[in-house]
Amino acid sequence: MNVFMREMKANRKALIIWSIGVFLMVASSMVKYAGLQASGQSINDLLVSMPQSLKAIMGMGTFDLSTANGYYGVLFIYLAMLATIHATMLGATIISKEERDKTSEFLFLKPISRSKIITAKLLAAFVNVVIINLVMLVSSILMVQKYNHGEAFIGEITRLMLGMFILQLIFLLIGTALAAISKHPKTAPSHATGILLFTFILSMAIDMNSRIENLKYLTPFKYFDAKNVNSSVGFEPVFVILSASLIVVLLSTTYVFYRKRDLNV
Amino acid sequence: MNMFLHELKAYRKSTITWTLALVSVVIVFLSMFPAISREAEVFKELIMGFPEALRMALGLSVENIGSILEFYSYIFLYISLIGAIQGMNLGASIVSKEIREKTADFLLTKPVTRTKVMTSKLLAALTCLVITNIFYLVAASVMANLVETKAFSMKIFLLLSLTLFFLQLMFLALGIIISVVIPKTKSVLPLSLGTVFAFFIVGALTSTTGDQALRYLTPFKYFDFSYIVKNSSYESSFMIVAIGFITIAIIASYLIYTKRDIHSA
Repeated sequence: MNVFMREMKANRKALIIWSIGVFLMVASSMVKYAGLQASGQSINDLLVSMPQSLKAIMGMGTFDLSTANGYYGVLFIYLAMLATIHATMLGATIISKEERDKTSEFLFLKPISRSKIITAKLLAAFVNVVIINLVMLVSSILMVQKYNHGEAFIGEITRLMLGMFILQLIFLLIGTALAAISKHPKTAPSHATGILLFTFILSMAIDMNSRIENLKYLTPFKYFDAKNVNSSVGFEPVFVILSASLIVVLLSTTYVFYRKRDLNV
Repeated sequence: MNMFLHELKAYRKSTITWTLALVSVVIVFLSMFPAISREAEVFKELIMGFPEALRMALGLSVENIGSILEFYSYIFLYISLIGAIQGMNLGASIVSKEIREKTADFLLTKPVTRTKVMTSKLLAALTCLVITNIFYLVAASVMANLVETKAFSMKIFLLLSLTLFFLQLMFLALGIIISVVIPKTKSVLPLSLGTVFAFFIVGALTSTTGDQALRYLTPFKYFDFSYIVKNSSYESSFMIVAIGFITIAIIASYLIYTKRDIHSA
């Protein structure tokens, strides 16, 4: 419990900054939507006729930009990027920072097992991620409501945030697993960010070019695509299973490797 | 000279990684160009039917759709994002790492002035960026010539590509000034990712409001691609501000660094 409280406190400042960032991002994007709205319906007509690949380059996907909800779908990918960066960084540093700050001797001499320490740290990270997700959910609902014209959207945003949450968990655990495996824990955050950027750009590339569509299994950003989640497709079972197994594998990797590794002191 | 070589060696691996990342991203994106330009041709005919004002709002100019320069301006967004992270990360770490890794005592007790230390580090960082940019320029130009069958202005293409270097320089300077002002930078990557993304998002927001003054706030908007394509030159007011910012940041870093307290082990 002490380790958990300590981690919560250590991450408090970062959590507050990230929450504010998330809120500002949602709010300012929806203000931007109001501007787009003012320029009239015809933008949407134009976009409908635009080829898929061109829209992908401009980051618009196949959303109906005339509704607040459709516009939110475009925003989702940026929010996902923000949330996953937070999760990855958090996961990688929460495990590796003891060695980075030379506090591992202090912590690991205490009469608690390594598994317990990892559990406490993971729980703290989990709570942080949940809070970010909730901030995102609440600020999205508030802001979309402001510009919405009587369409149902709360269900759709909640579904998107559920997808986001799984995404956050995957990247959080990529961070912890890398930090647990790596011999030089200092490099864990950069390696995890590398994976993050690679998968993000891969998902952009898949949008632009349908020939490489089969690569979508490689990038978590494609598992819960906003346009699928909010259409009849919904959560595809194959991706749900894939994410669940990824989470289990990464979680056990974190435990197994960290229990056995030599700590750099 | 020793310090310079030491820093180059210390950043060899990271420079190679960043260079490879930038080169592969530009190759992947440009390789999609032929398919997209075919689709764009069809779209071009469609878009002629829409009112001029609307096309302006979306930033689409008829003559450029489907040309390599237009396509390149779009994908350059991702490239500039990666490049900015590299620059910021390099700047934020190169001076602060001595304190973080407890090597400041060792380095600063050597018979060299702090100004010299700073100069060697700056030169090393600059060299890393120059190397990255040379490889990037070569890869991008070769690739562009391979995929585009029609003639296009190589000068404009190079001007567009060179903005990567200027952007990186600005973020390098920003990284250095931040790292000398902050007493102790514990972890560099979260700091640089946070800063770069904050500017990136500000940039994304200013692009719709069309407010010129706001553009001065974020380095991502100093180079307006449609302006460069149209006039085949940079906007001089932004160039002056950019150069001014870099100079002031570097001079201030020298002044602060030569006077500041160094936290020793």
